[in-house]
Formats: sequence, C-alpha cells, structure tokens
Amino acid sequence: MDKLNLDQHISQQFNADLEDLKTQLLEMGGLVEQQTINAVNAITTADSDLAERVIITEEEVDHREMKLDENCTMVLARRQPAASDLRMVLAVAKITRDLERMGDEAHKIAKMSMHLTEDGEAPRGYVELRHIGSIVHQMVITSLDSFARFDVDLAVKVAQEDKKVDQEYKSAMRELITYMMEDPRSISRVMNIIWALRALERIGDHARNIAEHVIYLVKGLDVRHISVKEMERQLQQN
Amino acid sequence: MEAIAENTAKVDNMIDTKKDVQNNSPESADLSNLETVGIPFSDNAKMSMRDVDVFYGDKQAIHGVGLDIGQNEVLAMIGPSGCGKSTFLRCLNRMNDTIDICKVTGSLQLEGQDIYDPKLDVVPLRARVGMVFQKPNPFPKSIYDNVAYGPRIHGLVSRRAELDEIVETSLQRAGLWNEVKDRLHAPGTGLSGGQQQRLCIARTIAVSPEVILMDEPCSALDPIATAKIEELIAELSENFTIAIVTHSMQQAARVSNRTAYFHLGKLVEVNETEKVFTNPDHSLTEAYITGRFG
Amino acid sequence: MASAPENQKTIELVNQNLAKRYRAEKRFRAYGIASIGFGLLCLLFLFTDIIGKGHTAFLTTYVKLNVELSTDALDIYDVNDPQQIAGADYQGVLKKALRERFPEVTGRRDKRALYGIVSSGAGFEIRTLIEQQPELLNTTLDLWVLADDDYDTYYKSRSSDEGAYTGRFNEKQISWIETLIADGAVEKRLNTTFFNAGDSREPEQAGIRGAIMGSLFTLLVTLALSFPIGVASAVYLEEYAKKNKFTDFIEVNINNLAAVPSIIFGLLGLAIFINFFEMPRSIPLVGGFVLTLMTLPTIIISSRAAIKAVPPSIREAAMGIGASKMQVILHHVLPLAMPGMLTGAIIGMAQALGETAPLLMIGMVAFIVDVPGSISDPSTVLPVQIFLWSDSPERAFVEKTSAAIMVLLGFLIIMNTLAVWLRKRLERRW
Repeated sequence: MDKLNLDQHISQQFNADLEDLKTQLLEMGGLVEQQTINAVNAITTADSDLAERVIITEEEVDHREMKLDENCTMVLARRQPAASDLRMVLAVAKITRDLERMGDEAHKIAKMSMHLTEDGEAPRGYVELRHIGSIVHQMVITSLDSFARFDVDLAVKVAQEDKKVDQEYKSAMRELITYMMEDPRSISRVMNIIWALRALERIGDHARNIAEHVIYLVKGLDVRHISVKEMERQLQQN
Repeated sequence: MEAIAENTAKVDNMIDTKKDVQNNSPESADLSNLETVGIPFSDNAKMSMRDVDVFYGDKQAIHGVGLDIGQNEVLAMIGPSGCGKSTFLRCLNRMNDTIDICKVTGSLQLEGQDIYDPKLDVVPLRARVGMVFQKPNPFPKSIYDNVAYGPRIHGLVSRRAELDEIVETSLQRAGLWNEVKDRLHAPGTGLSGGQQQRLCIARTIAVSPEVILMDEPCSALDPIATAKIEELIAELSENFTIAIVTHSMQQAARVSNRTAYFHLGKLVEVNETEKVFTNPDHSLTEAYITGRFG
Repeated sequence: MASAPENQKTIELVNQNLAKRYRAEKRFRAYGIASIGFGLLCLLFLFTDIIGKGHTAFLTTYVKLNVELSTDALDIYDVNDPQQIAGADYQGVLKKALRERFPEVTGRRDKRALYGIVSSGAGFEIRTLIEQQPELLNTTLDLWVLADDDYDTYYKSRSSDEGAYTGRFNEKQISWIETLIADGAVEKRLNTTFFNAGDSREPEQAGIRGAIMGSLFTLLVTLALSFPIGVASAVYLEEYAKKNKFTDFIEVNINNLAAVPSIIFGLLGLAIFINFFEMPRSIPLVGGFVLTLMTLPTIIISSRAAIKAVPPSIREAAMGIGASKMQVILHHVLPLAMPGMLTGAIIGMAQALGETAPLLMIGMVAFIVDVPGSISDPSTVLPVQIFLWSDSPERAFVEKTSAAIMVLLGFLIIMNTLAVWLRKRLERRW
C-alpha cells in the first residue's frame, strides 16, 4: 500500500495514464457489479425487462474490456513500466479479463431468467439464489473496493467469502439434485436455476481472482492456486 | 445510461479515498541510518567490499557500502546521477588513484586480497580487473595495435604469432572479428561508435582479466550497437565477472543477474534483477525505477 | 499560447528590429575586416619598403678593365712559389689599368680618386683567378672587377626617378663612371659576395654568411637544450607534480618569465655564463644558453597546453588495461602532444632567431669578419647584423640592411610554415 504512489511520477502524463487505467477499470467494475445484482434480481423477481438490460449492458462491458486492453498495451509500449507500475498495468489487464468473464456469467444468469419466464417458475432454489447472489454481489463490491484502495485486508476477505460461497453452492446443489430426483418433471426448470447458481459461483471465483491480482499488485506476491490459510500465512510473513 | 453515471460517482468516491492511502514520499525518506536491503553478499564472491567509504576532499561520496560481486555474475549498478555508483566502480580497480583528493577506506578484496594494500602494485591489479569506459576511447592507432597493446605492455607473449592469435580471439569474443579482419591495420578511430566500443572491450579482454568493469558502456551508442554490446555482455559473463554501471534501467534489467541501487552515496538495495524490477524491497528503489524521482 | 493577433504583433516587432539587427551584424563584420585590412596594409608597406630598398643588394656593379697581368708588374719572380702569388701586388695592376684607361688624369689627389673606382677587395678576385689559372700570367686581358660601393650606388640609382645618387662625388668622378658606362664597361651582376662573405667595413664586400652561420649555431644550441628541458619540465609539471602551493608558485613564475623583457635574460647570461663560469664572449654556445633561458618558458607553456589537450579518455584507457604511468606518458600522451609541442618549440625558435637584445649583452654584437665554423667561434647573428649595418654610415649599407631583413624574414616564414605543416602532418584525430 505504501508503495503505490501513482501520482508521483516525474512524468505527469504517466500519472494521468495510470490514473486513467484505474478509473476506467473501476467504471467497468461498477457496470459488472450492477449487471450481477440486476441478473440476480431479474431471476428472483422474474423481471424480464431487467434481464434485457443485463443482456444489453454486456455489449458495453465487452467494449470497455477492449478499450482497457488497448490502454494497457499503450502504457506498456510507451512507458515500459517497472515494479509497482508494471504490476499495476498487469493487474489491470488481468482484472479486466476477470470482469469481462463475470459479465459473461451475469449474461448467462439473465438468459436463465428469460428461460424461466418462458418455461414457468421453478419450484425451488430461489432462496439459495437470493442468498448466494447477495454474498457474491458483496464479494464483487469488496474486490473492487480492495483494488480502489489497494487494500490487501479487503482482498483477503474476498477470498474467505469465496470459500463460503463454494460451501453454500455445494449444499444448494445437493438439495436441488435431491429435489429433481423426487420430481423429474421439474428437471428442466430446476436446471435453469442450477445454471444460474453455477454462474454465480463462477462470478465469486472471478472476484477471488480479482482479489488475488490486487494482492499481487500491492505486495508483489503471487497467491494464486493456494488455500486461504496459506495466503494469510504468506501475507503475514511479508 | 444511468447505471454508468451512478457507477462513475461511486468510482469518484473510491478514488478520493486513495489520498489517505499514500503516505511517505521518496524525498522525505530518512537516509541517515539506512541499511542495505536485499542480498548484497554472495557465497561465491569474486570481489568483496565491506564498509567502503570514499571521500573527495571533505565531501563523502560513498557511505559504508558493503557488496559482493559473485563469480561469473553480471552485477548492474543503477541510481540517480551523483549517487556514487561510478565512483564505487572506479574504486574496484583503483582508477580513483589518479585523483589526488580521493581517499578510499574500508575493505575491498579481490579473491581475498586487499586491493588497497599499499604494497600492492596497481599495474597487475588493473590487468586482473579491466575497465571499459563510457565513451569509446580507442587509441589513435591501428585496430591490431589497440588490441595488442595490453598483451605487449604486460609481456604476455614472446612471438608475433601468439600475439596475432590473442588479437584474433579477443576480436572474435568481442564479436568484431568478421567486421574488421580485412582491415586490422586501419586506424581504430575510423570505426563506428559501436564498433569502437567493442574494440575497447576486445582490448580489455585481450589481457584476460578476471573482472571487467563497465562504466555506462552504451550511453554513447545507438540502440542497435547497444543491443550488440548487451548480447556481448551475456556471452562474456560465461568467462568473466562483470560489474556494469548504467543509466538505462532497461539495460540493467536486460543484462544483469543482480542489480544494486545506489542513492546519495549509499547502497540502498541489492537484489535479483527480476525482483528489483517487479517488486523491489525498498521504497527508494521503487521510486527510482518507476520514475518517481530522478 | 498567444492568440493570433498577438502573434501577428510579435512578427511585426521582429521584422521592425530585423533591419537594425542586420546593420549591427554588418558593422560587426566590418570592424573585423577593417582590422585585418589595417594589418595587411602595414605588412604590405613593410614589405614594399624592405623589398624596394633591399632587392638591389642582390646585384652588384662590376667594371671592365684591360689588365696586364705581367709578372713584372705583379712583382712575381718565381711563378711556382704560391707565397709570391699570394702576396703579389694585384691592386697595383688594377691601378695601372685604371691609369691607362684614363690617361688624362694627373695629380695625386685625382689619381687616388680614380683608383677608388674599383673595390679594395677587387685585388683578391684577381689573386683567386691567378691561383686557379696560372697560365694567365703575362697576358693582357679584359677583366670584370668589383666596383667600389659609391660607384655601385651611383650606377644603381642612375635610372631611378629621383636621379642618380651622387653623394660625395665630384664632377670628375661622375665623368669617369659615365665614360665607362658609355663604353659598356659597367654592368650589374649577381652579388654572390653577399651570401658567401662575412661582415666587412666595405659594403661591397660585406656578406651575411657569418651572421647566418652564427644564427644557425646559436639556434642549434638553443633547440638542443630547450626542447628536451622544456618537454621534460612540462611532463613533470603536468603528470607528476602534485597540485599544491609550490607548483602553483612555479607555474606563476614560468608565466612571468615568458613575459620578462629579453634583455634581462642577456644580463643573466652575462652574469652567469661569462662572469661566473668565465666563458668566452661572442660565441654561439653562450648565445644558445641565453636564448634557451628565454625560450624555455614558451616551450614549457605550449608543451603543457599540448599535454593538457590530450583527452583524458586516452589516459584512462591505457591505465584501464594496466599501463604504468611512464607507459601512459611515453606511448600515448607524448605522441599525441608532440605536434603541439613541436609547434611551440618552432615558434620559440623563431622568436629566438629574431632576438637581439640578450645577445648584445653577451658580446655577440662584435664586428666579426670570419665566418664561424663551430659553436665556440666568435660570431654574430642575423638580427644583430641588421642592427650593425643599419648603424653604418655608408649609403650602400642601407640596401644591405634591407636585404638582410629579407633573409631573416625568409627564415622566419620557413620556420613558421614548418610549424604549421608539422601540426597538420602529425595531428591525429581521436
């Protein structure tokens, strides 16, 4: 945290370039976060207009991803950033990718919501969907916050939440599968819910990825593919 | 879209919080009891310096530097102008002896031998620790004589054929042989800047030194000549230990195994080059290599 | 950014001032041209004056006389005795020839004036002739003999705009020479005496060979001493001496010495070499010592400048591969500094060649007739010779003086050209 003084370069333009990256990324993050919550609301309230909006927003997200990629490439080519600046640009590029994936997942949820409106309401799963949806939405917000403030503690919290989401997802799965076995007629509708849950869980994973990129950005530590405990241990050591 | 407007406002809020986050600026850092961070020492040290102080008259240019240069290592020294990196480099083969007011204290050893021992003769020392300078400085003699000069004055060869061989191998190792083999007796000053610098490197390696010191060897060269010299440095590191001072951080990143960062006469950080350029330990290093002050 | 109308204004202002600026620049250049023009004009004046006065000295007047070389008249009894040939009365036969040429002249005074037509040195020419061709004895033949300086001057000035210079002549003398001229018995020939003889009281017999040789020996001594000493001092001061009060003191003194009037060096030489070491006066060796003292500061200063101009990168390069101090100096510094040092030395030599004052003090101003053969023979030098001749009352010495100046200038031009050529030749870029 103490090292990321993005506005203290000798080159004012460099400051502006990096600041620009950050702002654009946070704007894109805001869009994706909105998409996530809208998608969950669309499915739980069977609001097809909302679902429509999520699908339309997806295009904007894709467009922003391309724009951010271009800007990252520009900074890399023109400034040859090193150390924290280099990590910043790399993190932005990776987070952009994760955000775009999250957008895709939200898009999927919105599609499931449309299917459900056509096929009729699913008999079960809305409670789980709402519950996991709110946790994941909070994770997305937290991960974006951790990036905005370069806050490692918030990032660690996201990783912890992700573990929780995984557990919740597993138990919801178990329940829905049991239900489908009992009532095979509802399988197609419940499957829609399962797809939506799966997408939410993926969004959570991407939020965790974002948190990991933030940790790399701030601490220079690569904490991917390790348990949350190991992550906390390494961070304490550092 | 209203969502975007809403988010932008949110983002602005987030950015505002950043102001609380930034604290110490590099200029305000306290240097008085700075200790070198990273890995300044090596198990396999070729040259080993401890508590080196250098004074120019009353002014202290180097403050208590402790550093090892490992066998066959390429060590890059970076830092802002006047940070003492060149001064330190020139201590390593006593080129500072020519400056009357320059005084060096501390322990500087080449394979355990004190190089500032008053009984030690600088002539053999400089044969063991060669130097390549910032500006290509071939002698106003032929290419052949430039390379042959060192072996001649040190009496390394007795026959002309041996000398021819040394000249040829040195020029080959410096990657210059193919360009000059047909005009060995043309003046060395007639070569291009990059060729001249490679000629100077050939001249240095002709006396088979153990360590080669390079003082900003590419600062007067164009990018292609620079790339050739950098390639050469990589090849030379198989046989020689190399310490290079450079103003180009990219160059340090490209050629070196370890990078040492000097600041106001102090050695701030020494680390694996990769580490220094992705995640340096010291905030001063960070500030310098990311261009936050110069 | 200034807005468009403001820009317009700036350009207008610039244009307004432009004419003024150009004028100032032209004026500035004109000052330079004027200065150079003035210098060239002075030089031109000097050269025309000297060459105008001096060019005649390279020719000298000869008179044709019908001389009877009888052994009786020459008082030679034995033709095989070289001593008799050497001691024969050649002037006598010339006088006889003149009497026969102008039989109307009577009276002692007139006769003596008549004998004055030929130079008192003309007899030696006939002696040389007889020594080479003894078979001419006892023959009568037409001989061209050297005319006296007064007649020489008269003859040379006859055709000039101001009319003939008659000087101390009376009408009889003018009529004699006019008769001879009318007979075609007077002509100008190349003046070999001027280049082959030493000094003489008689202008027509005076030459600058002695002075040239004196200058040559003096300069040889000076060069042999001042160049090595100067270079060695410069090398020590530049390369070895520590920078402290003492070396500063030496430096100030060297610079001062370069500006000391040269006559002081003459006094110094007089005190040290002649009074203390009791060396003989008037010899090129002592002259060389004195001029060495005088040129040393110049050579040291120019050598130091040349050494300083050797780029430090070359020194560092040599030291970087382990050359010792002496190797750095001998292999790199001196070869690179050599053109500058040689130029300095030559300019110092040119200065020494033109120096008069210090040599006056050590007696090189003496009247010396013999051409010196070594550095220990008494001699004089070119500038001193010029000084001596310019002081002589005879009219004919005027042209000799100018001619000697021309010779001196010639040597100076040669030396300075050599300096430029050497610099161009030896200078290497690095």
